[in-house]
Amino acid sequence: MTIAELVAEAATSAIGLSADQCLKCTVCQTVCPVARVTDLFPGPKYAGPQAQRVRLGSLLSPGSGPLSLVPSPDRSVDYCSGCGWCTLACPADVKVAELNNRARAVLRSGHRPRLRDWLLGQTDLTGRLGVLAAPIANWSLHNRLVRALIDRTLRIDRRAPLPRFSNRTLRSRLGRHRRSTWTADAPPPDRAVVYFHGCAANYYEPHVGQAAIAVLERNGFEVIVPPQVCCGLPLISNGLYGAARGKAGTNLASLADYARAGYRIVGTSTSCTHTLKAEYRDMLDLDDDDARVVAGATWDICEFLLDLHEHGRLDTNFGRLDRVLPYHAPCQLRSHGIGLPALDLFALVPGLSAIDFDHDCCGITGTYGLKSEKYEISMAVGAPLFEQIRASGASEAACDSETCRWQIAAATTAELRHPVEILVEAYEAYEAHEAATP
Amino acid sequence: MARADVGVIGAGLAGMVAAISVAEAGATVQVLAAGHATTHWAAGCVDVGATPGAYTSRDALSQLVGLDGHPYRILAGGLAADLGWLRAVLAEEGLLLVGDLDDPLRPIPTAIGATRRAAIVPDGMSAALQPWSDGEVLVVCGPAGFRDFWPTAIAAGLRRPGSWRGSPGPARVEALSVELPGLSARHNLSGLDLAGQFDDPAWRSVALDAIGRAVDERWRRLGGPAAGRLALPAVLGLRDHPAALAEARARLPLAPFEVGLVPPSVPGLRLFAALRSALRRRGGRLLIGEPAHGLIDGDGRVSEVRVPAASREFVLSAGAFILATGGIAGGGIVADRPGSLVEAVLGLPVEGPADEPWLRADPFDPAGHPLELAGIRTDEALRPTGPRRAGPGPAPTVVAGNVRVAGSLLAGQRYLRERCGDGVALASGRLAAAGSVATAGSPAG
Repeated sequence: MTIAELVAEAATSAIGLSADQCLKCTVCQTVCPVARVTDLFPGPKYAGPQAQRVRLGSLLSPGSGPLSLVPSPDRSVDYCSGCGWCTLACPADVKVAELNNRARAVLRSGHRPRLRDWLLGQTDLTGRLGVLAAPIANWSLHNRLVRALIDRTLRIDRRAPLPRFSNRTLRSRLGRHRRSTWTADAPPPDRAVVYFHGCAANYYEPHVGQAAIAVLERNGFEVIVPPQVCCGLPLISNGLYGAARGKAGTNLASLADYARAGYRIVGTSTSCTHTLKAEYRDMLDLDDDDARVVAGATWDICEFLLDLHEHGRLDTNFGRLDRVLPYHAPCQLRSHGIGLPALDLFALVPGLSAIDFDHDCCGITGTYGLKSEKYEISMAVGAPLFEQIRASGASEAACDSETCRWQIAAATTAELRHPVEILVEAYEAYEAHEAATP
Repeated sequence: MARADVGVIGAGLAGMVAAISVAEAGATVQVLAAGHATTHWAAGCVDVGATPGAYTSRDALSQLVGLDGHPYRILAGGLAADLGWLRAVLAEEGLLLVGDLDDPLRPIPTAIGATRRAAIVPDGMSAALQPWSDGEVLVVCGPAGFRDFWPTAIAAGLRRPGSWRGSPGPARVEALSVELPGLSARHNLSGLDLAGQFDDPAWRSVALDAIGRAVDERWRRLGGPAAGRLALPAVLGLRDHPAALAEARARLPLAPFEVGLVPPSVPGLRLFAALRSALRRRGGRLLIGEPAHGLIDGDGRVSEVRVPAASREFVLSAGAFILATGGIAGGGIVADRPGSLVEAVLGLPVEGPADEPWLRADPFDPAGHPLELAGIRTDEALRPTGPRRAGPGPAPTVVAGNVRVAGSLLAGQRYLRERCGDGVALASGRLAAAGSVATAGSPAG
């Protein structure tokens, strides 16, 4: 590789070069939930900008390989959970978490992916098969013997919170009458939205998807559910960028026309929506027009509903829900940079007292906490949150992201709900009250 | 779009103090910060001023008030009350501040074996403030294998003549390295890791007893117990610091005090955690991530600021804004390529050296560097104006009427040299908050 090629490649890699802005102030070290609980991860500064100097430095010595093969000094970056707190906290705008994610992908490139990591990335495949054989799949994935076997062979921890497959996908529940392909007679963009359900709502929690559709329809939107596949995030976080680009391509092809026509794309999974908004470009280098227009059109559902409210368009006829509701803001939501819209929506519901415990991370970070070597780290990261929820005595808690919900539910006795489920309940309480009032 | 009565930009001491004060006054407040600030690096003390020749912070304050254009000319009057307020806010969060404006500035040891003068410190450092009596021994004690605290080197530094800045120091300084349980097996050991260990009640009892035994053994070797104090790295717990400190005092044979380390600063993190909790308790919001940008409109007002977010901007609209983004070190002021100074959020005019060589032959020139004084000039209500001009003439006019400036972004202070940064941050944060609440609540706001 010539110096000119190096410079050209480095210039396109704004994330890699952001390491140069590092002041070594160690702020990132202070916010890392993983380094807080384990010695196996040296912390974002060491795995990120510090190690990046070695990676970039080896580029400049004669005879070194191309950029994609520059190794990390050791494999400890694999213990980064990808929560993203370091990037948020950095005062010098170093993209620490993104650096680490890329470094992990580089570490894994050129090797056949571990079967487990490959499998955890295949949420479409496992979802489809799991729904087909839901009774058997659910029985076996919650059977101690089978789980012990999986732990031994695949290294998915026997105690890790695996969700239950639904016996029907959201898409099949919605039926064929749902507008799912582009038609010229769709209502205009101020009366229709595109729903990105992601794998969780499709295969595991159709009730979340149905709640989202109910809330959107109540507010006068027709809900378009175009064909879609996994957003690709489980592949990205397992270092399988190539396969993730395939998923991204399929989704972008399906969504870009809607986005271009002015429709907003609303999702119930903060991690899927963040992937559509940012990761296709930041992680997968998909910086074409489709990626840009889809990113610009994508909204987290609570962000969207709050925006409706700010424009006076949200139906705020919420009935009373007299209860205390612990709320956990997922790390991925923080990376959206939109504040905590669910809390603002909860504040509109009479009687509802949401408490944000302000804990950084529940520990699961997607598929990280499922892995045998990381399960205990993940539980230690979330422990203070679990303790607070248990101590609150609340029977239910709310969280925007599915894997966090599964983790918190498994670690506490609370039932975990998506914020839109709470809103549906509040609308129902209003209707019940109206019906009871002569 | 988010709305608040007051938007605060910056989450350092000035920004957090301002935001807590706004929320306390009953107004809604949203803090926006590009990242965490110098709270995470600084010693966790409240330095009001430590100028040469000043015996107390109040002496330093009156010296600084005499300097032309110093922010204390506006702020000094309220500082005693502000300090009382901060003490009460932090106490509610379990963090005690010891010392006041009229207490003597005393040399307290640092992790490089020098001393710095301080008077208002967190409880964990308070034992360092007591005058050294005749024959008193200082034992500098650190965990073996901890690379940020070298007892032998620190003790050697503290034995050097002059290191106690003319005050009587300890009669002798001993260095002690103690093997603490489980640490030798670790790959990494930072102050943060140790603080986490000291949060664990079971581990900390064992560790404190090990330190106590090592001290006793050293006494035996030196021929009997003596009066003394124990300097420990500032790692006595992060989340559970009050309990860790109380247990250290109870279990150790000598009065312990914490010595600040290289970043990350555990006492600084405790201070930030207390401020953050105080803000939450009062209903304030904090969004951390990216730098904010805004525009001053034709009427000299700022109606909103924008923060880049994933795929679209986060917009905060507010009746008043407080700019507490730090000086040059904090990123509130940046230099463009030709070397002009630019205020990062609103592009406010910066008072500071223009077009002169920044590099000096002596970087530690006692006369200082003009860059140190650079910042935003304000009126008495902390609203930004243009730079001061030499000679007579009208005072510069306010350029953004609903904006106030707080902290080290204010022009005219040399906060590293004068050690006035925390006092300025506190007093300006309080004053900016009071003015902003009034502006946001007024019909024009």
